[in-house]
Amino acid sequence: MKDPNPDRFIFNERLDRTFLDELFEGDSVYAQVVFEDFLRDLPGYWKDVETAHMNRDNNGLRTSVHKCKTLFGYVGFTDIQQLCQQLEDNCSGDQAAQERPHYHLLLTRKDEARQVIENEFKRLKIFNTTC
Amino acid sequence: MKISCIIVEDIQIAADFLKKFCDKSGLIEVKGHFLNVADALDFLDKDQADLIFLDVEMPGASGFELLDRLTYSPKIILTTSKTEYAFDAFQYHVNDYLKKPFTYKRFLEAVQKIGNETDQASASSSSTSTKAILPTQPSQSPVQSDTDFLFIKSEDKLVKLVKDDIFFIESMRDYVKFVTAGKSYITYSTLKNLEEKLTGNSFLKVHRSYIININKIDDIRGNTIYLQGNQIPVSKDHKEELVRRLNIL
Repeated sequence: MKDPNPDRFIFNERLDRTFLDELFEGDSVYAQVVFEDFLRDLPGYWKDVETAHMNRDNNGLRTSVHKCKTLFGYVGFTDIQQLCQQLEDNCSGDQAAQERPHYHLLLTRKDEARQVIENEFKRLKIFNTTC
Repeated sequence: MKISCIIVEDIQIAADFLKKFCDKSGLIEVKGHFLNVADALDFLDKDQADLIFLDVEMPGASGFELLDRLTYSPKIILTTSKTEYAFDAFQYHVNDYLKKPFTYKRFLEAVQKIGNETDQASASSSSTSTKAILPTQPSQSPVQSDTDFLFIKSEDKLVKLVKDDIFFIESMRDYVKFVTAGKSYITYSTLKNLEEKLTGNSFLKVHRSYIININKIDDIRGNTIYLQGNQIPVSKDHKEELVRRLNIL
């Protein structure tokens, strides 16, 4: 079905499009800024997650995953945001950081997510340049 | 006239959205953005803001620790990704909380509430009403009711509650807490709104802060209802109706 508004940027189906449409309200220029900020901030936040994981630091892991969770939420990765929440909740117990199954799943998903956002950022740049 | 605010938030994306929304509304002047409680308190030692957008989980001290150390009473909007903090928000008399990530519509609802509360506080003033200035948004009720059950919005999902499982509902300012056997749920609503939705003979308001399920009463002693391990006060204004509904011999 043809998009009734051809000037509207269509986000990747992997993302929560309904939420992103409401969040950005058609402002693709600002979406580009936010996606760029995500790509800038995620490596630093993720480094903290890895450090906490290696040091078996449950509190550190919980705090750093909490920050990543917010980032994923603002670019429409609602499912990864929920995965972060599960890992965050899991950090409250006595279980060692290495044994948390959600961590390894999040590690995989984080890399996929980064790729998706990189592609979206490129698409947004092209879209905003040509519109 | 714009109200002033500061943003206390350690995640830049979240802070940028807040600044953008404040600018977009045309009603809020952002005096500063601080990444931690210590810097925010340093600022507040020298200056004040009418409103604080306050994250809860930050490096060093939490947002609640800032509230403990405030020397005046600004409006507070908590920004957090967890609804569990709603309990604490109530204790600290926070005006509203925004669950991240939030849209402009949700932001405006929270700010409009501040405007309404400010309006009520200065009802005798001749200054321009903020309620008239702030654009209104249609609100969708977070509680949808049908015959034997109702749906409530809690933690970003619609939760189905069988009415018969509800023990009582407690008012928590602009939120209500549904207490059932298994769990408690908090949703953005008021008891007044619920009174209109809970029809039938099972529910009764017994206090300005409580609606109970009559079927769950264990016993009543004096002005206290004992209900499934909870004690619910009965106010003078509601006692007569309680007696009538229970058909006490």
